[in-house]
Amino acid sequence: MSKEARIKTRELRQAQMAAARRRNRVRLAGGVVIVGLLVAIIAVVVNAASNGDAVSNGDSSPNSASGQLVTPANLTDAGAIPVGQAAAPVTLEIYLDYMCPACGKFEQANSGEIDRLVKAGTVKVHLRPISFLDRASKGSKYSTRAANAMATVADRAPESVWAFNTELFNQQPEEGTRGLSDEQIAELALKAGVSRDVADAFTERTFERWVANTTDAAFKSGLQGTPTIKINGTVFEGNVYASGPLTQAIEAAAGGTR
Amino acid sequence: MAGLVGRLDRIRHANAWLFGTMLFSSCLSLLASFVLSVDAITLAADPTAALSCNINAVISCGTVGSSWQSNLFGFPNAFLGLIAEPVVITMAVASLGGVRFPRWFMFAAQIVYTLGLVFAYWLFYQSMFHIGALCPWCLLVTVSTTLVFSTLTHVNIRDGNLFLPPRMQSALAAAVRANLDLMIVVIWMLVLVLAIAVKYGDLLFG
Repeated sequence: MSKEARIKTRELRQAQMAAARRRNRVRLAGGVVIVGLLVAIIAVVVNAASNGDAVSNGDSSPNSASGQLVTPANLTDAGAIPVGQAAAPVTLEIYLDYMCPACGKFEQANSGEIDRLVKAGTVKVHLRPISFLDRASKGSKYSTRAANAMATVADRAPESVWAFNTELFNQQPEEGTRGLSDEQIAELALKAGVSRDVADAFTERTFERWVANTTDAAFKSGLQGTPTIKINGTVFEGNVYASGPLTQAIEAAAGGTR
Repeated sequence: MAGLVGRLDRIRHANAWLFGTMLFSSCLSLLASFVLSVDAITLAADPTAALSCNINAVISCGTVGSSWQSNLFGFPNAFLGLIAEPVVITMAVASLGGVRFPRWFMFAAQIVYTLGLVFAYWLFYQSMFHIGALCPWCLLVTVSTTLVFSTLTHVNIRDGNLFLPPRMQSALAAAVRANLDLMIVVIWMLVLVLAIAVKYGDLLFG
């Protein structure tokens, strides 16, 4: 082999080695990134899992409602917000989330009929506002804020509960938005006949802990979703998004108990 | 050990593995598109069918299906999957059977599939940050689209189908031979997992 050919071979080999070194550096960097990502994923999952435990144990954690548990006055023995005459023969229990579009559809279809039946003394409503759709308001926790406002109204202006419930659904924000501001929620309460000082108390968030506990308890009782409607304790399986079937079921239940 | 790595390496660059992966992923994509199309039709026939906000699922209230993003072109996006994935399946099966498609064909497939990938990730982004809901079938589309894209790109770089300048072509081919594409796909998938864990961890594992 000539000297030139040897030099060429050596240069070629050096170039190959340089390329191999470059490749190894890239691989090493890639390996570090992969390990880093794995560690980050594990950290996030572990953190999420332990946060979840803290909430269900009732410990205060950044994700759980802050402050003391304050239960609104005027609740039923079972802890629901009542509407209508306690002596009405039929109990209509409504699990709802103010962010839930399906609950809005339910209200649109049935709120007029329910209103009529409540006034006729046929049915009493037990509202159970929960807050599991907090995740769908870009961090503004609209479900909790709205449910807390409702609890405040139940506590201090119980006669306006139904009107306020109707207003909240009439002006229901779209799921996945930040929802109504505290001020807008207060405006709706004023429209529903709540006094200014009660509406101003919404921002004190007095009942947030109660809302969180109600939500937890609802999950534990096997609630699958919202709206869930119970007539005298039995889940109503009919179409809740059309006016009619629910009215018939309520009237049937009333007929049965008379 | 070195022998095993070498053998795995050969398998990874062989047509059987590449087009097999492509076939598998495109079948998954087709399945997901089919399920989503059926859902979309049910939803259109009865707007209340998918309603009721389920508590345990991260998907909230059929939101993904009824958002404007999921009907970007005036019909359910999933229909695009029903149209496009059978083409990929046919291509993968033919290639497994030894057919070699012309360069221009593979190049066109790469361009169209890249558009599909961009669209899939735009949807993923929308559902993560604007709709605030994740749907498992949509996620399957995202993942399998990524896998089809990566195998298609692998084949096209290996076979020089992309009409690239010679230096770029040889650099990319060397990178693929060194399995750097595999590394990129792994990192990419882990980033997806991390994004989902950060955004939905509390709900999924809490």
